[in-house]
Amino acid sequence: MRRTVLSAMAAACVAVLASTVPAFADGASAAPTTRPSSASEPSARPSVPASAEPSAAPTREPSRAAAPVATAAPGKGRGQVGVVPSGAPDTGVTTSSDGSGSDGMLIGGGAAGALAVGGAAVFLVRRRQATGA
Amino acid sequence: MIRLSGRAFVTAALAALLVSCAGHGGDGASATRPSGTHVSARSSAGPANGPQVLGRSVPARLRIPEIGVDTPVMRLGLAQDGSVQVPPITAHDRAGWYQYSPTPGQMGPSVILGHVTVGAYGDGVFRHLDRLRRGDGITVRLENGGSAEFTVTSVRTVAKADFPTKEVYGDVDRPELRLITCGGPRSGDGYLDNLIVFAALSTASH
Repeated sequence: MRRTVLSAMAAACVAVLASTVPAFADGASAAPTTRPSSASEPSARPSVPASAEPSAAPTREPSRAAAPVATAAPGKGRGQVGVVPSGAPDTGVTTSSDGSGSDGMLIGGGAAGALAVGGAAVFLVRRRQATGA
Repeated sequence: MIRLSGRAFVTAALAALLVSCAGHGGDGASATRPSGTHVSARSSAGPANGPQVLGRSVPARLRIPEIGVDTPVMRLGLAQDGSVQVPPITAHDRAGWYQYSPTPGQMGPSVILGHVTVGAYGDGVFRHLDRLRRGDGITVRLENGGSAEFTVTSVRTVAKADFPTKEVYGDVDRPELRLITCGGPRSGDGYLDNLIVFAALSTASH
């Protein structure tokens, strides 16, 4: 009877373990990896979102008005677009696929680990029962 | 006893399998974004009676019913290297209007940019811009309360190395709109192409 209770408890422990391991994997990967990468991205690109809007315009316009118009505009003089930017806009960051891949691997690894621990626990209980009976 | 242990083993294995399945389901659910309302009626292409020109008023909001876009519009200037600024990489990114281009409805090409993807945050506001087709409608709400409605005239994917600066920023003889994002094959943490939607003003209200 005692062994029956023991095996039931082992099963319950495995179930709890299995549910906690992926939670750790999720929590550990999502928060720290996303924040730093996003914090570094804006610095590589233009600047801060809302607060920069009013200040960026007056400071940049006078200094850049001469250069970009002269270099990038097709020589029509004053065009409908006041300052023609150079190059192509960089409107896409693709680190999401890498992040989700590592998340998936972590969750899969956690589940496999939980399965291994559960199997080992059940094996030990059965072995104890077999030797005790 | 041995039978009970067998059940315990089966229970443990099932629990572990269930947890792994639930983990993958959560991941997939977080990647999707609810799409907005889908309007089936498409307006006819091209302005019939020539362009209606609006006065200058900064864009406040952009709506593209065909692809579920309804976003506030921020102002964008120039980056240090002389390229156009892009909106910040955030969870709910917005579109941005290039402030040295005409405001929507004014004579000339008004330029609005948005991200296709925003790194770890997933889809950007212009994720499905490539689904737009000739004749689809785009509405821009202006700060003065008016609005400008545009009709898509063409959608082009171009290599960033051969960005058509003149076609995008060059002078035109009517109020037009360009929506720009990235597309094409990926390289490192970016894209090799730009997707550009060209549109012309169809109706305007003050």
